[in-house]
Amino acid sequence: MSSSSNSSIGKKELEHLAKLARIELDPNEEEKLLRDLGNILGHFKELQELDTADVPPMTGGTDLVNAFREDAEENGGRESTNQGAGTDAFPESKNGYLKVPPVFE
Amino acid sequence: MEPLHDLTIKKFHDGLLDKKFSALEVTQEYFRRIKERDGEIGAYLSIAEESAAREASAVDVAVAEGENIGALAGVPLGIKDNILIKGLPATAASRLLKDYVASYDAGVIERLKSQKAVFLGKTNLDEFAMGASTENSAFKTTKNPHDLTRVPGGTSGGSAAAVAAHLALAALGSDTGGSIRQPSSFCGVVGMSPTYGAVSRSGVIAMTSSLDQVGPMAKTVEDAAILFNAIAGKDPLDATSVDHEFEADLLSPQLEKVKKLVVGLPEEYFIDGTDSAVTKEIQRVIDKLKGLGMKFKKVSLPHTKYAVAAYYIFVPAEVSSNLARFDGIRYGERADGAVSLNDVYLKTRGEGFGAEAKRRIILGTFVLSAGYYDAYYDKAQRVRTLVKRDFDKAFEEVDVLLTPVAPTPAFKIGEKIDDPFAMYLCDMFTLPLKLGGFPAISIPTKSAAALAPGELPVGFQLIGKKWHEADILGIGQYYEKLN
Repeated sequence: MSSSSNSSIGKKELEHLAKLARIELDPNEEEKLLRDLGNILGHFKELQELDTADVPPMTGGTDLVNAFREDAEENGGRESTNQGAGTDAFPESKNGYLKVPPVFE
Repeated sequence: MEPLHDLTIKKFHDGLLDKKFSALEVTQEYFRRIKERDGEIGAYLSIAEESAAREASAVDVAVAEGENIGALAGVPLGIKDNILIKGLPATAASRLLKDYVASYDAGVIERLKSQKAVFLGKTNLDEFAMGASTENSAFKTTKNPHDLTRVPGGTSGGSAAAVAAHLALAALGSDTGGSIRQPSSFCGVVGMSPTYGAVSRSGVIAMTSSLDQVGPMAKTVEDAAILFNAIAGKDPLDATSVDHEFEADLLSPQLEKVKKLVVGLPEEYFIDGTDSAVTKEIQRVIDKLKGLGMKFKKVSLPHTKYAVAAYYIFVPAEVSSNLARFDGIRYGERADGAVSLNDVYLKTRGEGFGAEAKRRIILGTFVLSAGYYDAYYDKAQRVRTLVKRDFDKAFEEVDVLLTPVAPTPAFKIGEKIDDPFAMYLCDMFTLPLKLGGFPAISIPTKSAAALAPGELPVGFQLIGKKWHEADILGIGQYYEKLN
């Protein structure tokens, strides 16, 4: 496999991406990720061989257009959409409400 | 009672009606075997003895009262642990969900419950269904039942190993780029990834929404067809699911019709670098089907070599978005010691996600970011169109395509875990068709009993036109009869 010379992600950029993705990385993880990402991005270069200017992008897996459902109880009622289910899975709650740490530091 | 080795869904159903055994007896026999064997195999993350016994007993009552029961009534199944069953754990093999208990049933589970199927437990997978060996599970490494030093494949490795080792009569997996078919090949079972939209994904923990499909894993093609027939159909809770009427011969194919199907052999899938054991077995399958009178034709899928790169751009993009919900706020583990909300996110996700999840989230965030979006994400989506068009064109000439499932049989545990791209290449034959939403099945080239000592199972892949599951299941069922 090729070395990290293909890398177009530097340490600073990785830290920025990790911040955007809300993931705390330790220095060892950063080092391994830089190596892996450089390697993986190297393999993406072959796509540049293809002229895709006139090819429309595929934006999903389905051929369906406007897949709406009836606004009916059997399609949207409390039971069938499982609304309210899962409140018992809250990591922390108070009076039935979800509790989170302060938003402002 | 018949030994579990000989049991199929069909035989189980007949035996149940003939009162050869009760559903509860068979369920208990499976748990006995799980306790005896799963310590070394590690197919299950959790078992559900109490609820399974209740479900099986209900079937026995129905049989005793002479009720009409369906083909899956009492059938003991393993369910991949990214599929929700109300009241049972659903971890997706992630530390982030280690104590999570599902609060509702997935659409496929609702359907199986209405048929009175029995759920033995939840099977191991690569964390959030990302990998090709089940080694990315946060909890355990599943072993290949044919050789405990090898991987079962992935990501539905637990389901494949469970079926192969007779720890479940059949199972559900999910397939994004090969996650049902590659482990099926490695473990010597049948596995199908249905047409995109054929099966509901409500209650399935999302990885790549434009590709993910739930599908059957079973000992025979007939069993896979029965299971697929039970889970397919429109679900109002999944807007991408489709109300499609499958051909009547999905379950009982006609030889005269099957023989007339023209089989395409894409030249890009018969390449140097494929293990000779695989090449030899695929040739044997082709010769056997020729013996049946089937016509073969060479075709070309010229953009095949670009599919892996395109896939590993838009898949991480979708992953980075889908996994944003795992933030420690509403469910799952919340990291200790965080003082602010932002801290909760950073620590929960930093401590909770494994290496491959982090790799894909960061990569996905990168390819979607301003300045790189056009060069990567947009480019990959255009290449996806080219790959799909290749298949559309080939299907103007032939009815189905036949290829290997994977370039090698099961590899050794640890062999590829440090080289992410080598792991990604495991899917080179299984992922291109997914870009167009086509159905495909992996079928063992020979039965487990026919394997020579030390020989590893290998699967062949049949790719069908959209909504033509009957074609690939039909050929598969006749191949099994030849074998």
